[in-house]
Amino acid sequence: MMDQHEDPQFDQWLKDVARTTYHAPRTPPRDEMWKRIEAARRHKQVVVIRPWLRWALAAAAVLVLGIGIGRVSVVKEQHIAKAPAQAVQDTIDALANQAYQIAATQYLSRTETFLTAFRADANRSANTARLARQARDLLSTTQLMLDSPAAKDPRLRSLLEDLELVLMQISLLNPLEDGRDRDLITQGMNQSNVLPKLRSAIPAGPVPVRTEGAL
Amino acid sequence: MDETQLIARVRAGDSAAERALYDAHVDRVYRLAFRLSGDDTLAQDFTQEAFIRAFDKLSSFRGESAFSTWLHTITTTVVLNGLRKVKRFRQREADIDDAQEIGSTHRHAEPDLKLRLKKAIDELPEGYRTVFLMHDVEGYTHEEIGAALGVETGTSKAQLSRARAKLRVALADFAGEWIA
Repeated sequence: MMDQHEDPQFDQWLKDVARTTYHAPRTPPRDEMWKRIEAARRHKQVVVIRPWLRWALAAAAVLVLGIGIGRVSVVKEQHIAKAPAQAVQDTIDALANQAYQIAATQYLSRTETFLTAFRADANRSANTARLARQARDLLSTTQLMLDSPAAKDPRLRSLLEDLELVLMQISLLNPLEDGRDRDLITQGMNQSNVLPKLRSAIPAGPVPVRTEGAL
Repeated sequence: MDETQLIARVRAGDSAAERALYDAHVDRVYRLAFRLSGDDTLAQDFTQEAFIRAFDKLSSFRGESAFSTWLHTITTTVVLNGLRKVKRFRQREADIDDAQEIGSTHRHAEPDLKLRLKKAIDELPEGYRTVFLMHDVEGYTHEEIGAALGVETGTSKAQLSRARAKLRVALADFAGEWIA
């Protein structure tokens, strides 16, 4: 039974008009997209933060605390054993590595959002000065990441170097430029497949892990 | 070769089969991404991301639904999440611009039908808009939409009905167009 508010004539008219005028798709560039998909898939996941890893991290923290308390007790009794001290150091190293991975994931997520929006807005009159400032902030983090243990992974290092170049270019954008520089940056991003590589480096984890601190 | 065989070959690492599977579905994935985003660059990004995830997760596809249904579930997730991120970013930009432009006034030209339609569809709640575009514009069935969005078929129908009602109100000025 037809709802009293329905209007078949309107619905048909709406469909026809929307199909032809609302975001009418173009022919997709199949080959270009396929090349980028292949390139991104070659550049496999760099950082893997799964939900269980956070539990492991919490468990490791409890372990460190427990060992620390135990160690203090032992010190009081002046019986310091070498083995627990080594265990503490190993656990601290492991925690540090996990912390770098979490920081890397959050940084990559923020950068992906920024570059996606930058590329989508390349032809818009977005505030160039603000984009440049945001790029500088991310550039500082990129350089810190390059100097951190997270950059020991050659794939992540290569990605960070690509990002450093792109962010450097955006950070140097002249507020008075006419859009050609933005086009060049966007072309460079497309040629180096930096966004697909970046996305493939971000684990498909829960939202709080992926987007915490995102722009 | 049917699609089940094609998927089996992709799982076995056959790159030609990957390309064939991509070719079979890319147009519809891109169309949906473009309809939802309205931006060629974003649509390409979302299409690529959807296929990358689909290939990576193909081992978890059990064939309980059609491959296209499974792929469109991934696509809608990728597109809607991606659009939320871009929207948040743009909203921040707009908020700052608004704060900087207090006191300035703007005159807007009287929009024509195309602009009014765009505005009306853009202003629909996300769920209504997605269902309207998938069903009325791209021709998905309510079953396909329900599977892709993880909602009941009845929910999809109800959202479509509400979307049309909102659009009818928003476009009331153009009543003569469809009566004619």
